[in-house]
Amino acid sequence: MKNQDFLFKAIEGKTVTWCSNENQYVVLENITADIIKRLYKEIPIKDIAKALSKKIDAPEEKTIDFILDIKRRFLKSKNKKNRSIINDHRDVKNPENFEYVKYYQVNNIVFKVSFLSENELYLIHPKFSHLEIKKTNNYNHTFDVFTKHNYTFLTVNNQIIGSWSRNDIHYFQGKFSMELIQKIHHKEESEWMGVFHASALSNDKKAILFLGDSGNGKSTSLALLQANGFTCLADDFVPIDEKKQEVYSFPAAISIKKNSLETLLPIYPELETTAEYNFERLNKVVRFLKPNNTDFTQHLPCKELIFIKYEKDAGLNFSEISKLEAFQRLVPDSWLSPNKENAAIFLDWFSKLNCYSLTYSRNEEMIDVVTKIFNDEL
Amino acid sequence: MKNDKKTEEITRKEAIKKIGNYSKYAALTALGTYLILNPKKAQAASPSTPGTDW
Repeated sequence: MKNQDFLFKAIEGKTVTWCSNENQYVVLENITADIIKRLYKEIPIKDIAKALSKKIDAPEEKTIDFILDIKRRFLKSKNKKNRSIINDHRDVKNPENFEYVKYYQVNNIVFKVSFLSENELYLIHPKFSHLEIKKTNNYNHTFDVFTKHNYTFLTVNNQIIGSWSRNDIHYFQGKFSMELIQKIHHKEESEWMGVFHASALSNDKKAILFLGDSGNGKSTSLALLQANGFTCLADDFVPIDEKKQEVYSFPAAISIKKNSLETLLPIYPELETTAEYNFERLNKVVRFLKPNNTDFTQHLPCKELIFIKYEKDAGLNFSEISKLEAFQRLVPDSWLSPNKENAAIFLDWFSKLNCYSLTYSRNEEMIDVVTKIFNDEL
Repeated sequence: MKNDKKTEEITRKEAIKKIGNYSKYAALTALGTYLILNPKKAQAASPSTPGTDW
């Protein structure tokens, strides 16, 4: 059995190579990718070196060194030292009393979520408070969240899903969201191509992904656009399935930062008071805006990706960007399925995407451009 | 993407030694240049999500 498996995809004069061991993507020169292919086929190094030496006009002994180096770097066996200690959580029992029990309804599915204290409530509830319903005995799934020995645990239908330290708490929140979408859309983890750190907007026919570093105005743009006839499919956590590569709806609210309140208050006066979630004991205030989506079963194809940036006093700047640049920015911020089949689907999906960059300071101009992209007028 | 490259000052002599075998063969140097991208190991919420600061 081979130690490492590969996928190759030609994009803009380079070869994007997926390596199975680390679920890693490498942007390589085409010739280098070709060497890996030949090494994988177990073609003798001498033969590869001979061909390479001819091709690039370098002495054979140098090309042998080079190929050995590539072999050492990319065809190494899986590092077994990194195996983590498996914790079977045998001695961890669910607490008997939870301080907060909430019921959330998404479409026709009801979740009963119990939080040990305000600390756990604060991690999850603000994003989903708009889905809260009154106490009911007819619920479909139970999620329990509690902290023990400084680790926050998540159990779903009495099965321990995992535990996370405080430093990894965003992974706990990510897992909670992942478990939620699996139940909402009836798909196992292996049926997702990836989850993207983006905002997804739709015109009910197709979806567009908005990306950008934190603080670039992604969520603010999304809030502005949903007030202008578009639907918010997902914010911060955008799942795409492997079967049809469609963006699936995620029901969490849009998180609103303090500095965008001024822009958004005239459109969403409710942000002043009702959307403010006050954790008195923790002395924290967060503001979340309800997504305007009403059908959380929705899923739509996505062929465009826009890196969006709000920049004070900037003129409107909209341009197509290279796929490789977009790839470099997208991958480190995403969870991509480690399954080979799904990685192949991801590479194929990505190679067909149109990637753009949009910088703006005037909201109307931004809305106008996005409308044109949706209508294929650009 | 975070740039966590460390800059390290080295002398010209050390630099030539570092480039080593390939210094004369620019084509090989170019072929050996690549970019590694690691996706996140698990699904994550945005680090700015409430809760990450307690």
